[in-house]
Amino acid sequence: MASDAETLLTLSGVGKSFGGTVALQGIDLAVQTGRVHAFVGENGAGKSTLGKLIVGVHEPSAGAITLDNTPVHFASPAQALERGLVAISQELSLMPQRSVLDNIALGREMTRGPFVDDRATRAHVQALMDRHDMQIALDARVGDLSVVERQKVEILRALGRDARLIVFDEPTARLPSDQVAPLLALVRSLAAAGKAVIYVSHFLDEILEVSDTVTILRNGEHIRTGPTARETRETLVEGVTGRVLGDQYPDIAPPDRAAAPVLSVTGLARRGVFSDVSFDIRPGEVLGLAGLVGSGRSEIARAILGADPAEGDIRLNGALAGASIADRLAGGIAMIPESRRDDGLMMGRPIFENVALPHLRQLSGALGLNRRQERDEVTRACAATEMKYAALDDPAEALSGGNQQKILFARAAMGDPVLLIADEPTRGVDVGAKQSIYNQIATLAASGKAVLLISSEIEEIMGLCHRVLVVSRGRIVGELADTALTENALMTAAFSGT
Amino acid sequence: MQTAITFARTYGILVVTLLLFCLLTLTTDGFLSERNMRNILDQQSGVLIAASFMTMAIIAGNFDISVGAVYVATPLVALLVENATGSIPLALVAGLAAGAVMGGINGFAVTRLKVNSFIATLATSFMFFGAGYLVSDRSIMRPEGEGWRALARTRVFELTTATWIALIVVILAGILLTRTRFGRNVYATGANREAARLAGVNVDRVQMITFVLLAGSAALAGILGSSRAISAQPSDDFSFIFAVLTAVIVGGTSIAGGSGAIWRTVTAVFFLAFLSNGFNLHQIDPIWQRLIEGFVILVAVSIDAASQRRSG
Repeated sequence: MASDAETLLTLSGVGKSFGGTVALQGIDLAVQTGRVHAFVGENGAGKSTLGKLIVGVHEPSAGAITLDNTPVHFASPAQALERGLVAISQELSLMPQRSVLDNIALGREMTRGPFVDDRATRAHVQALMDRHDMQIALDARVGDLSVVERQKVEILRALGRDARLIVFDEPTARLPSDQVAPLLALVRSLAAAGKAVIYVSHFLDEILEVSDTVTILRNGEHIRTGPTARETRETLVEGVTGRVLGDQYPDIAPPDRAAAPVLSVTGLARRGVFSDVSFDIRPGEVLGLAGLVGSGRSEIARAILGADPAEGDIRLNGALAGASIADRLAGGIAMIPESRRDDGLMMGRPIFENVALPHLRQLSGALGLNRRQERDEVTRACAATEMKYAALDDPAEALSGGNQQKILFARAAMGDPVLLIADEPTRGVDVGAKQSIYNQIATLAASGKAVLLISSEIEEIMGLCHRVLVVSRGRIVGELADTALTENALMTAAFSGT
Repeated sequence: MQTAITFARTYGILVVTLLLFCLLTLTTDGFLSERNMRNILDQQSGVLIAASFMTMAIIAGNFDISVGAVYVATPLVALLVENATGSIPLALVAGLAAGAVMGGINGFAVTRLKVNSFIATLATSFMFFGAGYLVSDRSIMRPEGEGWRALARTRVFELTTATWIALIVVILAGILLTRTRFGRNVYATGANREAARLAGVNVDRVQMITFVLLAGSAALAGILGSSRAISAQPSDDFSFIFAVLTAVIVGGTSIAGGSGAIWRTVTAVFFLAFLSNGFNLHQIDPIWQRLIEGFVILVAVSIDAASQRRSG
């Protein structure tokens, strides 16, 4: 890296409390221009809060922030923006109905008298794109763009406002895995252009790849800050969790190959999405469904649940499954959907309602719901997942990402399913919670449940699955098991159809 | 701060209603009289019935503006049958069935045609108001027999039948919402439609049922209203829906869906009734009542917005 980096922003003894809860304390660090500075930690470690303190979303409750060697105190994001400090939020600040041009120029339109000068504004935005070598069609509607392009729009807007420091908060959390690399390249190019970049993430591989400096946070405390070059995956894991990483993946006994399949899928097809999908899963087997995002993995899973219409035969324990989701659930399928926020949980509703929802028929008698039985069974199901919660009446949103995911595991296990479909079960959860989710999967498999696991993390697929089907462009292009199951073979197959 | 908002949202309406009750008891002679209380209960019976099921529809994620039109049109259908056959049971069945059909049309527009519920029910409001004019031939309708009047106005243990019917309907609605699988599905559908669907809830059916129940309850309220007035007349009067919606919103049911409670709506009905009664007893210009009511709605919605921000 160039040695022309200079200190832009300094935090000394910065802390933040919400009510009685200490989110951050005693943070000392310096952010330099032309560098990518990563904040890493588990969910709840305070890394996002720290990013928000810097751009004025939160005000620090202790300590001081200095910018250009003068103390600053931001009461709002607008004040931080005035001084060139910007956060790229997850598309929240864009107007999806408006054009790229309108979004980038927002608040900085060129005017002639009282009127917006469209031509000058357009030329100005185009010049901005040329200068940073980021081209997007100016008249495209932002809502039609891909996630990465939307992030580009946000970045361009920030650059148009003379941003000097840009904070990325979990920018890849909602990104398809094949779009991560372009985003990281974009982040690097901003640093190369002399901007200070703060990169908040819990994806260790991304941090190792993209950052120059890394700050590790744990439970709101500053563990260490140093050059990324001195860190490895193992040292980072140790830093964020406070313990040495053992073997993450539990042993799962191989299934009985002679047992009759729990699920048999024959000739499953959905026009334009996937076709000719056929496979079996046996009791106790963990079958991986691997492939790039957009390959049709999740869509196949949704079709098996009955969430989308599809042609072909789906047999559960030999019998043809009914068409509705309710039929499939009654037949013994349980699913943990890809996005727990959009498709899984009712965030504002109590934990127990979230867990019990698909099982209310079994919990109802002639006089309506048996609420005591419901409490008992939900309590037991939650305990089995090692979920941490204060009260079952708390809303789901009160829990951390990992514990929210456990609500879905408790929901799935409570129905005593024969098949669990888990779509990205560890997305957005921290290292410790991952371990516990792997144990859940192992426990279910050991008790004779079949598991269909979808994951973008190859290690996870390799570590947990007995057998892996690789999906590419809506077709199963490979089946790997035992010694043939290598990372290389998996990636080769995944890219084969593209 | 957040716990204060949560508390305000859950019990605030109960606290202010009790305060108002005490205030009026202390400052007026007539408020706590048996007669005044009986009157309030009787006057609010229609709103109580419809507001209970409006709460349910809003929790499931939908608005229903057409309740006002159902309230106007269905008693006309009932009286048409009463005039033709002289049978009160048949008239009741016809009126309630007309309400159920209207609710079915709303449900169809929202679940099948995927029209935003506010817009869909605004459109059907005009249809139902129009149906009212057609059925009545644009004139006021009166019952043939003496029995119609007895529907709402018979005294049983000091209270009118309208009051008793309202109490029973409110309790049944409360049980349906809090103690049954259907009730849970209503909350789930409003809180996260797709998550509920993937968990096996037939979300279209749940929403359809809430519309049918709501329109049916509005028909019941309309019929009781026509019994109290011993007549019914066609109009384009939206005032009933405003009274119902005001009660639900002041009761703290989230307009975003997924949360709310019937007991709070019921409390809000009484809060608003006490307010109006208090203005009467104190002989204050009723214009002030409008200003205060508007202010109360704004406060209730602000509390809702504040708690949405927390979860957003």
